[in-house]
Amino acid sequence: MESASNHPSQASLLATERSKPSDSVPAGSPDFSHGSVAWFHRLTIEQRVLAGFSLVFVGILVVSAISYHNTSILLTNRGLDGRSHDLIQLLNNIDAAMSEAEDAHRRYLVTGEASYLEIYKKVVKQKPTFTAYLKDLIRESPEQQQRVGFLDRMMDRQLSAESKAIAQFQEGGFRAVKKMAFEGAGKRELGVIHQIIAEMDLHERQTVGRRVVESAAGTRNTIVLLGIGALLQLVLLAWVYYLIRHDITERRRVAGELQRRGELLEAANKELEAFSYSVSHDLRAPLRHIDGYAALLRKSVEHSLNDKAARYLQTISDSAKQMGQLIDDLLVFSRMGRQEMLRTAVNLDQVIKSILSDLRLDLQGREISWTIAALPEVQGDPAMLRQVFMNLIANAVKFTSARPIAAIEIGVEHPSSTEIVLFVRDNGVGFDMQYATKLFGVFQRLHRADEFEGTGIGLANVRRIVHRHGGRTWAEGVPDKGATFYVLLPGRRLDS
Amino acid sequence: MTVAKPILLAEDNPRDAELALAAMEAEHISDKVVLCHDGAEVLDYLYCRGQFKSRLRGNPAVVFLDLKMPKVNGLEVLRTIKADVNLRPIPVVMLTSSREERDLADSYALGANAYVVKPVEFHKFLSAVKELGTFWGVINEPPPESCRSTQ
Repeated sequence: MESASNHPSQASLLATERSKPSDSVPAGSPDFSHGSVAWFHRLTIEQRVLAGFSLVFVGILVVSAISYHNTSILLTNRGLDGRSHDLIQLLNNIDAAMSEAEDAHRRYLVTGEASYLEIYKKVVKQKPTFTAYLKDLIRESPEQQQRVGFLDRMMDRQLSAESKAIAQFQEGGFRAVKKMAFEGAGKRELGVIHQIIAEMDLHERQTVGRRVVESAAGTRNTIVLLGIGALLQLVLLAWVYYLIRHDITERRRVAGELQRRGELLEAANKELEAFSYSVSHDLRAPLRHIDGYAALLRKSVEHSLNDKAARYLQTISDSAKQMGQLIDDLLVFSRMGRQEMLRTAVNLDQVIKSILSDLRLDLQGREISWTIAALPEVQGDPAMLRQVFMNLIANAVKFTSARPIAAIEIGVEHPSSTEIVLFVRDNGVGFDMQYATKLFGVFQRLHRADEFEGTGIGLANVRRIVHRHGGRTWAEGVPDKGATFYVLLPGRRLDS
Repeated sequence: MTVAKPILLAEDNPRDAELALAAMEAEHISDKVVLCHDGAEVLDYLYCRGQFKSRLRGNPAVVFLDLKMPKVNGLEVLRTIKADVNLRPIPVVMLTSSREERDLADSYALGANAYVVKPVEFHKFLSAVKELGTFWGVINEPPPESCRSTQ
């Protein structure tokens, strides 16, 4: 991806050189084409999994909604089918009843038999029920409603024509209705009624047929939808599974890598320990020999030694001693990083007191005005913290050696409940603030060796110890005015 | 001081040995020093075997042991001495370059009587060796020879 995106950017660079306005197009287009992928890659694994599950959820909702809709249509169609069936049955009945009425009235006209009149009257009585039932069954189909209206009128006309004929028969006897008795009073209407009923029957059957096809299609669609939905959800779930699986594998790999590095680090630490042991043991021996043989040499040629030769021998000894000191300091520094740390309450007042008593010999012949504030109790390693203040105070004493009256102040800066800022201030040679960052480095010295002694490791030790306590160090100084060294230690515990 | 017991100095480095002997010479005790060049020689001496087969019987007044020596190192020699009923009374002084806490702890745990770090400065080394030689070889009363049959 790196190399791919390099080319367009080079192209855009060239474009910029040639003409300014045109460079936005080549620079913008590759970004845009990778936009969707980059967008996805910016998501965390949690967001991706959530997105996957959300899609599955939405899919289930959509499929369920559509299935519900299709099924309810099927159910409705089933109900409609029942009604259509009833309607066809009813139409048959009406057809039969109307035929029966026509037949019965004609027989009555011919025979005058009362039983035929009864049959006819029964049909007349049934008619409103037929109509009401019909209207109820076809209330959702306007076409059939038109036909039913017509059918209703035709049935009324047939029955009224027949009733009229019956009435004439009862008044004037068979003669009055002879013609009608043979032809039938509502014969024409009955024909129309048959025709309408046949039409309605056909229409209803067609509707049922159409509905059957529709339902079959709906069912098929639902099945296909369910299949596709299930497949999509399976794919999505598989994708989410892959994501989670991939993430777990990755995490496992990282954990393994971390463990491997931890082991490497431990091995490296062991090696370092062996190294510093060897340094401590083997590097001192030759130095001892240099100093020792220089001393023996001096002793054996004592009488013939001139000043120059004596100075050379002295320099050899001094250099050996200095290197011995360097090795010791370096070992202390390296040990300081690895040494187990204690955590107890440390009374700084006592620490300072014991340091000053240790420095008694070095302080002989010096005039120093000490200002020592009451110091708080802190949490930490007593020996290490002692080393910190030992180094800071020894430095202050060392760098004020040129002052007739040295002033050294040890105190606490604006005490707060969370952090403790301690300082050691002197009126010594100070330093230029531009070198402030170098002060705490290993073997960093701001003064020449002939001005002030030292190996340049004291403040490095201070910083290392304070860092191990979770604190910070910094310094402020003005050349020839003095310096202040600060040590920040993280909060005292208010509990216990 | 009539029958002066020897001082056993175990030092693999000839220069260190020479410097130590030079220091003891000044105190006129260098003639009592028996020099061993490694841990195996120390054990040979103590058990009167090898080159020391025909030496005068008896334990030394003190053993100055370097820690780092070829063949058998100082700690192993110390362990052997303190595990042997006949040798256990011999005072053993560790004389070493190592300031490592681990070495200190191990030595005292094994029963060392003293632990001295060789100073880099010769004059300090000189005074240390002198004092050690005088104290252990002259001033200190060695343990009585309880069992002389050291075969």
